[in-house]
Amino acid sequence: MERALDRQRVLLRHLQPSPSSGSPSHTPQSACVSASACAAGDLAAYQRTASFGDDVVIVAAYRTAICKSRRGGFKDTLPEDLLAPVLRAVVEKTNLNPAEVGDIVVGTVLAPGSQRGIECRMAAFYAGFPETVPLRTVNRQCSSGLQAVADVAASIKAGFYDIGIGAGLESMTVDQVRAVPKVNPRVHSFAQARDCLLPMGITSENVAQRFGVTRQEQDQAAVESHRRAYAATQSGKFKDEIIPVSTKFVDPKTGEEKPVTISVDDGIRPNTNINDLAKLKPAFRKDGATTAGNASQVSDGAGAVLLMKRSVAVQKGLPILGVFRSFAAVGVDPAVMGIGPAVAIPAAVKSAGLTLDDIDLLEINEAFASQYVYCCKKLGLDPEKVNVNGGALALGHPLGATGARCVATLLNEMKRQGRDSRFGVISMCIGSGMGAAAVFERGDCADELCNARPIKINNLLSRDAQ
Amino acid sequence: MPIFKAPFNGYSVKFSPFYENRLAAATAQNFGILGNGRLHVLALPPTPGAPVAEIAAFDTADGVYDVAWSESHDSLLVAAVADGSVKLYDSALPPASNPLRSLHEHTREVQSVDYNPTRRDSFLSAAWDDTVKLWTVDRPASVRTFKEHAYCVYAAAWNPRHADVFASASGDCTARVWDVREPGSTMILPAHESEILSLDWNKYDDCVIATASVDKSIRVWDVRSHRVPVAVLNGHGYAVRKVKFSPHRGSLLASCSYDMTVCLWDYMVEDSLVGRYDHHTEFAVGVDMSVLVEGLLASTGWDELVYVWQHGTDPRAP
Repeated sequence: MERALDRQRVLLRHLQPSPSSGSPSHTPQSACVSASACAAGDLAAYQRTASFGDDVVIVAAYRTAICKSRRGGFKDTLPEDLLAPVLRAVVEKTNLNPAEVGDIVVGTVLAPGSQRGIECRMAAFYAGFPETVPLRTVNRQCSSGLQAVADVAASIKAGFYDIGIGAGLESMTVDQVRAVPKVNPRVHSFAQARDCLLPMGITSENVAQRFGVTRQEQDQAAVESHRRAYAATQSGKFKDEIIPVSTKFVDPKTGEEKPVTISVDDGIRPNTNINDLAKLKPAFRKDGATTAGNASQVSDGAGAVLLMKRSVAVQKGLPILGVFRSFAAVGVDPAVMGIGPAVAIPAAVKSAGLTLDDIDLLEINEAFASQYVYCCKKLGLDPEKVNVNGGALALGHPLGATGARCVATLLNEMKRQGRDSRFGVISMCIGSGMGAAAVFERGDCADELCNARPIKINNLLSRDAQ
Repeated sequence: MPIFKAPFNGYSVKFSPFYENRLAAATAQNFGILGNGRLHVLALPPTPGAPVAEIAAFDTADGVYDVAWSESHDSLLVAAVADGSVKLYDSALPPASNPLRSLHEHTREVQSVDYNPTRRDSFLSAAWDDTVKLWTVDRPASVRTFKEHAYCVYAAAWNPRHADVFASASGDCTARVWDVREPGSTMILPAHESEILSLDWNKYDDCVIATASVDKSIRVWDVRSHRVPVAVLNGHGYAVRKVKFSPHRGSLLASCSYDMTVCLWDYMVEDSLVGRYDHHTEFAVGVDMSVLVEGLLASTGWDELVYVWQHGTDPRAP
C-alpha cells in the first residue's frame, strides 16, 4: 500500500501546475501559454455534472398520511382540507413568503376538472396564499402528481417563474372510479380505443397472463410491501414527510363526531402473510390472480413539493433535497397499461444521460402486484433498491396524490442513505396505457475522483476530488 | 483503423521493427497504481475493419510500464515492470516458458526501456530509483549503472547513430547525455523548470534531442549549443508524457499528454502543430510511429484502448 501511495505521489506531481510563471528564465511565450491553460480549469474533464445555478431543485416535499377511503381517517374530510395543510407546510417549513410562489400545479384525477380546479384554488386561500399566486390542475391519471412536479420543473427551466409548487390530491371517498358513461360507437372498430375502457383490474389480469406473473409472486410482493411499510412506520421513517392533519371523524357505529389529528398511514396490515392472501378470491376474473390483497388500496391523501431554481435556493439558504433531472411519459398498449414503468424508466434514465446501473433507489407505484412484479423483473432491478419503504399495496394509491407522495418518500430515503444513494427514480403506470418516470439526484453530489484514493496532503486536485 | 481494448490501462505501445503489422502494448491494472500488468503482442488485420488479433499475452505481478522490441531478434521483447524488474519475453514461445529472464536490480518502478538500434545487443532501463542501467541479452546482471540524477529517471534513449551514446530524462528537471565509455555523464541539460517526462533523439540529426515536460511544453535542443532551445512547442494543456521523433521525416515528432491528446509537430516551421488527435478519453501515455509504414501511428492511454491509425485519418473510424 505504501508503494501505491508513492506511485500516486509521483504521478500527481506530473499534474502539478508549472511552478514559476514569473521566473526570469521563462520565455514570455511559454508563460502566456501556461496562463491560458490554467483557465481551462483543474481536472474539468473529469467532472460529469457540475452544480449549475439554473438546476431545478426540490427544497421541501411533504404529504398527508394516506388513509383508506370511506373507512379510514379521512373519510369525513373534504378534499380541500387535505390539500391546504400540505400547501401551507411547504412554505411554512421553509419560511418562504407565499407571495413569491410563481404557480401551484395540482395533480388530481377523479373529480370533475373545473370543479376540482375551483376547490384547489380555494384550498390555496385556506393555506394562506395571497390572491396573486395562480393555481391550475393537471390530470395524467395515476401519474398526475408526478406530472404536476414535472410541469413546475419545466416552467422554472423555461424561465416562467423561479419558485413553484407541484402538488397532488385525491379523495377517493368523495370521488369514485366510474365507467365512461356514454361511449362513442366508433370504439368497436378501434381495438386499442376499446381497451381503454377496460377496468384496471382486467388490465392487471392481462399483464399477469401475457407475461406469466403467478398468483404466488403477486401475493409475495404484497406481503413484502406491507412488511417494509410497517418497518418504515415503526422506525419513524415517515415522520419527516407526513404533515399531521387536524380534522373530524364520525364514528360509524355511534354517529358521534369527534376532532382527530391524523398523522399515520392506516392501510398497512403488519400481519399480512402469504397464507391468508392465498385464500382471497380473485376480484376481477374467476380464474384470475388479482385479489383485494395484491391490488393497491383505494385511499385519500395529498402531497406537495416545493421547487425552485438552485440559485434562488442557495440565496435563501434553503437545504437542497434533490435535483430534478429528467421526466418521460411514454405510451403502451392500453390492454396491459401496467407495463408503463418498464418503458418509461429507461426513457427517463436515458434522457438524464445515465444508465439503469447508476440508479440507486426507485419508487415504482404498486398499482397491482402483477404489473409491479413484471416491471421489476423486466428491468432486472435489485429488490433492495425498489420501494424500500413499501408501496401502494400497503400504503394505498390516492391516484392524483401518489406522484407527490413518492417524491417525499424517495427524497427523504435518499437523504437517509446519504452518499450511497445519488440518483433516484419515480415511476408509475397510467390508466389507458402509459407510463411516466422521473429521475432525481441528491442535491449535494458531485462526481468523485474514483480512480484514486483521496489525498489528504499536498492536494492539488479540485475540491470535488476530496 | 483497428482498435484494441485491453483489460488494463494502457501504458506504452511499440511497433515491431521487423513486421509492419505487429505491435506490442504494455498495460497495468488500476492505472498502474496497484495490481497486475499484462504485455500484449498484437497483429493488425490484413484488411481494414477486421479485429486486431492477439498473438501472445504475458501476465506480470505488477504493472508493465514500457516495452521495447529487440533490434536483433524478431520475437524478442523487453518489458519494464513496476516492481523494479526488467523482463525478457519471446513472443514465439508459449507463456509457460516466459519470461526468458527476469532481471531484478532496480529498487523502484522501471518506467522506460530502450533497445540499442545500432549495436543491437544491449538495452537500457530507466527507473524511479534515480538510475539508468545498461544490460545485454546474454548477461544475467547489468553491465553498468548510471547514477547521477537526483530524482526519478523517466526515460532513456539511445542515440540513433552512435552505439555508445544515450540520453536520459529525469524528474530532477535535467536531461543528461552519456557515453558508456566515460565514467560520468558528458552533458547536463537543464532543459525545463519542471520534471522532464520523456525525450528522444532526432533520427536524421544525431545532435538534436526533444524533451517533454510537466510544464506542458516540448523543447528541441541541439547538444552542441544547448543554451537556448532550437524550438519550443506549446499546445498541450497538461504535462507531456511522451515524445517521439519520426523515423521518416527529420523535423516531425509525435507526443502524447495528460491532456488526453496526441499531437504531431514539425519543429522547423513556424506553425509547428501539424495535427491533434483527441480520441482518448483518459490520459494518453503511449505513442509510437511505425518505422516500416510511413505515417502509421499508434497510441494508448488509461482508457484501456490501443489505437492504430494513418496520420490524417480519424483514429476512431472503424
